[in-house]
Amino acid sequence: MPEFNCEETKSYVHEFLHNELAESEISEVTAHLANCDSCEGEYDVESLLNKAISRACVDTPPEDLAQKILLRVRDIQNGAPH
Amino acid sequence: MRLFTAAVPAPAITLDRGGVNWSQMTINGETAKAAQIREFEQQALPLMPQLYGAALRWTRNPSDAEDLIQETFAKAFIAWGQYQQGTNLKAWLYRIMTNTQINLYNKKTKDQAKGSIDELEEWQLGAAESVTSLSSRSAELEAIDKMPSEVIKRALQELPEDFRMVVYYAVVDGLPYSEIAEIMDTPMGTVMSRLHRGKKLLKKLLADYARAEGYDVTEEVPGGKNA
Repeated sequence: MPEFNCEETKSYVHEFLHNELAESEISEVTAHLANCDSCEGEYDVESLLNKAISRACVDTPPEDLAQKILLRVRDIQNGAPH
Repeated sequence: MRLFTAAVPAPAITLDRGGVNWSQMTINGETAKAAQIREFEQQALPLMPQLYGAALRWTRNPSDAEDLIQETFAKAFIAWGQYQQGTNLKAWLYRIMTNTQINLYNKKTKDQAKGSIDELEEWQLGAAESVTSLSSRSAELEAIDKMPSEVIKRALQELPEDFRMVVYYAVVDGLPYSEIAEIMDTPMGTVMSRLHRGKKLLKKLLADYARAEGYDVTEEVPGGKNA
């Protein structure tokens, strides 16, 4: 199997980061990244961007939301209109 | 499988209350009802904080997110008899939430949404742009690292809904593509293309921000120089 070129490697960046590649593809990608600063840089950027997105999406629900749900569920069970 | 499907004879009176199979709760009616609540509370409710994050992405504001969560869990409870124990409960709840959101808040049909968004052409998304100056990769990494969370949140909110949700499910929630496909009722290929395009669009929006903030952002010409 021929080694991945830059275009192929870059097209796999998301699948690589999200663990959606087959073993053979992972070795192709890692082999290429070891020798290519441009592709490695792109992988670093996407990976850091993913971390930044995750850090921006840390949200805690209101404290009373679980309780509200339980009350609603009891109402439903008791035949209240929903 | 379900708790109440054991050999209980059919009751004399059948009440139909919105999908809950009341007819199967007979002799120990009260106990069965309590058990059902307990089961729901123990299994579904602990997943609520995770669903809340996705609800915020759908609705883009806390008050609507709370409504969406309440509707989702109410519907899930009504349909609890259809949930097969041992299968992926979070995916099941996510799926209910997707449908609830589409029915409650989106006037447009799901198919219209699909058509209009997935037909976005590459040129409409623009070139894959670096977030900051292309002069150095380390400067770009630093800019992303220093990007305020509020800015990223706002950029995420500007993404078309289906792109936004796929980015959230894949990046923040870490769901496998196959599960996202199931939740959003789309083929895997659509999940991939929405993730790729969503991230691309997000980078473009963040580059706009970086430029407005005075970073030296050079427009990258398609097919032009390599960063």
